[in-house]
Amino acid sequence: MVDKKDMKRVEEYVYEIPKDFRPDMRVPARLYADEELLEMALRDRSVEQLINTATLPGVVKYTLAMPDIHQGYGPPIGGVIPLRTSDGVISPGAVGYDINCGVRLLRSNIMAEEVKPIMDEIVNALFQGVPSGVGRSGDIRLSHRDMDDVLEKGSAWAVSQGYGTKDDLEHTEEQGALAGAEARVVSPRAKKRGADQLGTLGSGNHFVEVGEVEEVYDREIADAFGLFEGQLVVWIHTGSRGLGHQVCTDYVRDLQQAVTKYGIKLPDRELVCAPFDSPEGRDYFAAMACAANYAWANRQVLAHRVRQVLDNVLAGVVKDRELTLVYDVAHNIAKVEEYPIDGKPTKLIIHRKGATRAFGPGMKDVPADYREVGQPVLIPGDMGTASYVLVGTTEAMEKTFGTSCHGAGRVMSRSAARKKIRGQELQRELAESGIIVRGGSMSGLAEEAPDAYKDVDRVVNVVHSTGVARKVARVVPLGVIKG
Amino acid sequence: MSEGFEEIEHTADLAIRVYGRDMRELFANAACGMFALMAEPSKETTCEREVSLEATDYEGLLVDWLNELIYLHEVEGETYSQFAIETLLPTKLKAHVIGGPTRHKTKAIKAATFHDLAIEETPSGLVATIVFDV
Repeated sequence: MVDKKDMKRVEEYVYEIPKDFRPDMRVPARLYADEELLEMALRDRSVEQLINTATLPGVVKYTLAMPDIHQGYGPPIGGVIPLRTSDGVISPGAVGYDINCGVRLLRSNIMAEEVKPIMDEIVNALFQGVPSGVGRSGDIRLSHRDMDDVLEKGSAWAVSQGYGTKDDLEHTEEQGALAGAEARVVSPRAKKRGADQLGTLGSGNHFVEVGEVEEVYDREIADAFGLFEGQLVVWIHTGSRGLGHQVCTDYVRDLQQAVTKYGIKLPDRELVCAPFDSPEGRDYFAAMACAANYAWANRQVLAHRVRQVLDNVLAGVVKDRELTLVYDVAHNIAKVEEYPIDGKPTKLIIHRKGATRAFGPGMKDVPADYREVGQPVLIPGDMGTASYVLVGTTEAMEKTFGTSCHGAGRVMSRSAARKKIRGQELQRELAESGIIVRGGSMSGLAEEAPDAYKDVDRVVNVVHSTGVARKVARVVPLGVIKG
Repeated sequence: MSEGFEEIEHTADLAIRVYGRDMRELFANAACGMFALMAEPSKETTCEREVSLEATDYEGLLVDWLNELIYLHEVEGETYSQFAIETLLPTKLKAHVIGGPTRHKTKAIKAATFHDLAIEETPSGLVATIVFDV
């Protein structure tokens, strides 16, 4: 068990477990947290899981966890693992089962006040018009050929079918398609699982949220992102659905043998892996890229649905009903990126599990219209408090491998939340505070209650104070649909 | 506990502790426990499937077994309530499962994981903890 006394404070809000804490650690492990978040992290096994990530072959500098850290399997949620592509490993468990679970933010030219009186109607229309919920399939049935196109082209496939515009692609991480995707390495059963799920939200912590920009902290950057106070915006949070889950399941199973073949010793079986530069490692990366592309296509189709629904329900209420994509980020993914290690530019495979890329100004991967200010970093909070738009920084490139947190992070188990909170009561309380929520199941709503999550304001303040990502705007929820 | 499984606490996902007098009962109870989380129980016997798997060890087989059932549940739209484990060796499983069309899903489970999974012997039989990603 790790104790606070085993950690040294590197700077404010940054704690480090030294390499010699455990004999199998190859590098130190760092945690971004304030005192309270650190105490929470020490209550479950998340810090032990962070330490485990520092044992992987090819790991460099230090592994990281963001302040929304909580226990996962393999790495903690909020975990960042940098490994050399030349001799390091790639691990499906360190990406997660929901490959490219991520979030996109759409902005409007509408003042939220204009539509608050009909928020009930808006939420009901979204609940009817956006396929969500356990086991709910969509209305797109992909043929084998379509499926392979989706897997290799991602959002671009969706745009070619009329779901959105080229502008959406330019404002999506990796332009909505991670290079290296090969449909042949995705199993038939993964494709079967995803065949009728494109354009669906799923359930659990996935949602569509209509919100209001409550406060702008940096006017110049908010202008660059097209955000202003009082503005109506929409968040969409979901991932790669059953296809991504099956890809992870398949490769966690298949790589059990790779670990023996390559003589890799692991402290946790969920960190199962293969050398990045091996047939097994290359196949997993190609399959992961496919699942990531499926998720981007999914969010692209969902954005189209949301645009249609809002265009319809707001007709006659507001004239300009256009929704423009601010950005779309992944928070469960592995990317090849280059960073200086021991003074030399080095290609790394950066695993982000419940962590968001946060590239700073000048980076070529940041859309041209944001390049001067940095990449939007989208942090959805829980449905009762707030979400944030941040911006990536040069400090993030130097300190955290271009990474920030991804959300609030859970503190309460689902079973405890169901025992403590009544879904219907929660729905009523939120309505009384001006937030309309519709969910597929009351117990599912209870599991996602604000009390089950950390304080997102605290989490964001840590990344802001450390300079890793800076606050641009705070958005409060007005209406939420959950599966 | 009388059902051979119980839900236990986990911060972000779902977890069950499963019991069995022997390995076959443990595997059957794990499947029962998982379906108890996923869907309304099925009393029907109109759907039957054969499951045949190989893995590197019992823990690997257990995860593969549950993930196979998740796949069938999702893709075939079936919920199973009877699990006859016909062959169970450290690296091989053959089973016959019976159930009916899924009437009402309660929770989408993405996968069974290896997290904290160790099949242990106790004086009263076998026990395992299984964490599901939801």
